[in-house]
Formats: sequence, C-alpha cells, structure tokens
Amino acid sequence: MGELADLQHWMARVLRTRRALAKDEHITREATERLTGNDRLRPVEQAEIYREQFWLRHTSALLEDYPGLSGVIGQGDWERLVEEYLTSHAPDSWTLRDLGNRMTEHVESCAWLPHRQLCIDMARLEWSYTELFDARDAPPLDPNKLGSIPEAAWETALIVLNPALRLLRTEYPVAELRRRLREGEASALIPDAQSQNLVLFRSRKRSLHYDVVGDGAFALLEALRDGLPLVPACERAVERAPSEAKAVEVGVGQWFQEWGRLGWIVDVDVK
Amino acid sequence: MTEARLGCPDLGVGVGLRVPHYRHILDHRPAVDFFEIISENFMVDGGKPIYHLERVLETYRVIQHGVSLGIGGPEEPDTAYLERLKRLVDKVQPAWLSDHFCWCSADGVNLHDLLPLPYTEEAIEIVVERAKKIQDFLGVRFALENTSTYLNYTSSEMPEWEFIGRIAEQADIGLMFDVNNIYVSAYNHGFDPLEFVRNVPHERIVQIHLAGHMNVGTHIIDTHSGHVIDPVYDIYRETIAQAGAVPTLIEWDDDIPEFSLLVAEAEKARDIRSDALELKARRAAGKASATPDWPWARAIEERGPADAQLEGETHAGTVQGGWKQGGPRESESTAAE
Repeated sequence: MGELADLQHWMARVLRTRRALAKDEHITREATERLTGNDRLRPVEQAEIYREQFWLRHTSALLEDYPGLSGVIGQGDWERLVEEYLTSHAPDSWTLRDLGNRMTEHVESCAWLPHRQLCIDMARLEWSYTELFDARDAPPLDPNKLGSIPEAAWETALIVLNPALRLLRTEYPVAELRRRLREGEASALIPDAQSQNLVLFRSRKRSLHYDVVGDGAFALLEALRDGLPLVPACERAVERAPSEAKAVEVGVGQWFQEWGRLGWIVDVDVK
Repeated sequence: MTEARLGCPDLGVGVGLRVPHYRHILDHRPAVDFFEIISENFMVDGGKPIYHLERVLETYRVIQHGVSLGIGGPEEPDTAYLERLKRLVDKVQPAWLSDHFCWCSADGVNLHDLLPLPYTEEAIEIVVERAKKIQDFLGVRFALENTSTYLNYTSSEMPEWEFIGRIAEQADIGLMFDVNNIYVSAYNHGFDPLEFVRNVPHERIVQIHLAGHMNVGTHIIDTHSGHVIDPVYDIYRETIAQAGAVPTLIEWDDDIPEFSLLVAEAEKARDIRSDALELKARRAAGKASATPDWPWARAIEERGPADAQLEGETHAGTVQGGWKQGGPRESESTAAE
C-alpha cells in the first residue's frame, strides 16, 4: 500500500469515530504524526472538523428522507437510531440519495425501538417515496392504442404499470400519519393498528401521492406488476382476495379507466 | 465573448442552479449568462430533477460541476458513476465540466466530503493519470477545483498552488479556480493568497467560483452562505487582472436568498471583472502597479492577534446540519413545485 492510500485508510476510519477524537489518546498521537496542526488548532482538532461534519451531514440527510420515522420516535430515539445505522451501515454510495436504502432492515433489527411495527411500516413507506421521486418517467397511456386493441387480444395483454408506482401493504395507516407529521402536527397520536393497501405513485405533475385500495384491486395490481397477463392476473386476484371476487369481476373495467387516468397504467402490451 | 481558454468560451458571470429558485426561473426566465448545475443532483432516472433540468436547458447555457468523483481516492473512480456522468454530459452538452482536487471514499465507505490530498509526487502521479482518462472518456474539457481545507498533512512536499498547477499541465486539463477557497485556506493555514494567484498557470483557468463562508474564529468553513466578502473580491480582481476574462460563477448553497439577491451578487462580480480587465490593460501599458496592497492578507500571513476579527463578527461553534457540497439535493422533502 502506498503512503497516500495508507493515509486515506486512516482518515476514513478516524472520521467515522463517534466520540470526539481528542478523547482518544491513540488517535491524538496518530494525528500528530500525520497532520501539522497550527497555532490555533492542534492536529487532532483539525481532523475533528471533518469528523464532526461527517456525522452532521449524514444525520441531516437521513432526517430529510425520514421525517415520518423521526417524528414517530422523537429526537432521543432518532439520534440513537441513526448513530447505530451509520455505524452498522456505512455510506457506500456516491449519492446521499441512497444513504437510507437499508433503513427498513435496520429498524427491523432494533428490538429496543418503541412502536416497532409502525416504524417498520414508516421506513418502508419513506424509502418508497425516495425511490419514486426520481424513478424513470414513462409516457402516458395512449388512448388511440387502447381503442385499436382487438377484443380477443385483451385476454393475453400485458398491462404495464408506471415505473413510478409502488405497492405497499402496511399494518398501520402510516401514510396519513406521515402527512400529519409533515404538516406540523408534532403531537399526532400514534394510531391503532389498521392494515392498509397503499398505492404510492408519482402524478403527471411529478408530485408524490398515495391512495388506499381494497384487497381485490391491490391483488390485481400486484399480479400485473409481477407480469401476469390480464386474465391470469384477475384469476390470481380472486384467489388471493376471495371475499372480493365479485368486486374484481364487476370493478375491473372501471378500475382500468381510473388507473389509466391516474397514470398508474402507462401501456398495454399486446403479444 | 472573448477568446476561448483551452477551448472553453467566456460565458460571462453566472449563478448556481438551486432548487428554491426553480419556480422563479421557469416562470420568469430571468437574464442570466449561464447556470452551473451540481451533476450528482441530476444523475437520476427521471422525475422532477430531470424535468426541471430539461426546462432550464431550453433557455440557458448550463455547465456541470461535480462533488463526488473523488479523483485522488485509494480506488479508481467508480465506473458506474462515470457512465451516469457521461449520460448527463450527453444531455447537457456543457462547454466544460469540473470536480475537485480531493478524495471522497476509502475502504468502500463514502464520506461525502471533499477531503484534501497531501501535496506529494505520489498524489500528482495518481491524479494526472486518472484526469487524462476521465477527460478522454467524457469527451469534454475537464477541470479540477482547489478546495477549502481545514488540515495540512505532514507528508506534503510542496505548496498547494504548485500541486494543482503541475497536475493541470501534466494532465492537460483546466483549473476551476475558487478564489473563496484560496481565502479560506490562506486564513486556515497562514499563507499569502497573492502567491497562490501568481503561481498557477493562468491560461488553464477555465472558470472562477465566488462564494461566502463562515468564520468560526479558529478557522473558516466554506459554507457557501452569505455575500462574497471584500478580501475575496480582492483576490478575484487580481486573478482576472492576471488571467484575463474568465467565466465566473456565484455559489450560494446555504441560507439561499431570493433569486434577485443572488443576481445582484453576480452583477457586483461582473462590475469587478470589468474593472479588473481595465487594470490588466493599464498594467500592460505600465500605468498601474503590478502588486496590489492587501492589508488583510498581511494579517493572515502574520497570524496577528487581530486576524480573527478581520471580517467583523465570528461565529463560535459548529456549522449546524453539516455543510453540503453543492447545496440541497432535490428530494421528496425539498422538491420544488
């Protein structure tokens, strides 16, 4: 290893230290060997400037991406959560956008966390929003193309969902809770458990929205997302939500119109 | 426009394109010489960032500035990063593209900071080789920027100006000359900023950055917040007087003001640039002194007791929230309408 790489490996280790560097005698000695210091700052204090900023920069980036999660658990638990997160999941991407990509699995592993299932749901929701924000654009559904599809072809047609759409089944109504927290309701009450089928999507104006749908519609959307043609997708939806078999049967036409209007469906691929 | 520098045209005086100004810019299309984008904010698949960029490109010249290349790191620059950067270059078609003399990651950990390099022969060799490859790969004039630094390495073998000048010449790349960073580093390390300006290859300066900063007494942090202070404008004036008409950009990334205030700062820079070009002509005619008088620079170099008060108020403590390279990214929380 060259001298430069050796220096950089030392810096990368030291700057991620959680405690102030001057409290560590060994690091203080190492800093004196590697850094000059000056008449205002000792070598270890020069390194401390960068260490402090490492933590501030990354904790503020996570706060930006997880306002709901931080609002649910409060400042003290939030600080512990992100400290543990950054220690166990060091930033490994060139973009801060990816910094929180393992927050859900981290929350799942934090047995000490209050309202843990709610927190898991919130982390999944907020990471989905991050993904949706800059997901690929797709041109809107072409009504002329729809009109030209022969009746028989619909049975095997593949319905293409918007790449900026996510399906999320949660145990708590976290989307509504997050909205209230972001609107400044700091005292928003922790809601009772209530499972929801969330469709998260980016509108044509590129704003993020959520909608709550029934079990039948959700199962159909999941089947379409998984690439099943229309008829097998409907069959699977009925199988997964048997109590909504009738709703699927009579609702599918209306759903498709609505989903096309909302931009959830962007194409129909006729083989 | 005047003569091109390393093939890069003089685009005038521009400002950084930042999220809080998108609505105003797209609604009113104000007169701006050029915008500089932070490349990483637009190296995404779609959504609002790409939409806004495409609308801006309809009207304005745009150049790219990056903060994540980490050209001097222990590993080669990330291939996937470079490929995404290349796709953005193809879309934006910038007249040039820049990043920093720095490193950002090691051991698979990205520190998301512009960490200083030691000024050594080994570092020169590494950065030169990579800079050549990157310039060839991107197919656009590449430039590297001197960073603000808060530490000095015992292993450094030369001053910063020699380090960056030699890399620029050996790799045949441009210099992104950040005169605020010169002031910040001069204050933090006690060197003469005029010596810095005099000893770089002026013909390789393809762009200048101007910005505000925060003085915390023991050191200055390059926050890109607030107005450009007079000593920084002094360095700017001298750079133009020595290097000529270099495109200039105002960076303002924290406590971002109304767009009109940002433009007013750019207009101030434009006036100073004009004065400096006249000064250059007078010097060439032997009608002006070639040495500026900067009392503040003597105070920095001598590190006298008054140096912490050079700029008036100092701010004790830390920069809350962490300084962000290139300002806020556009995210679900910060997105423009």
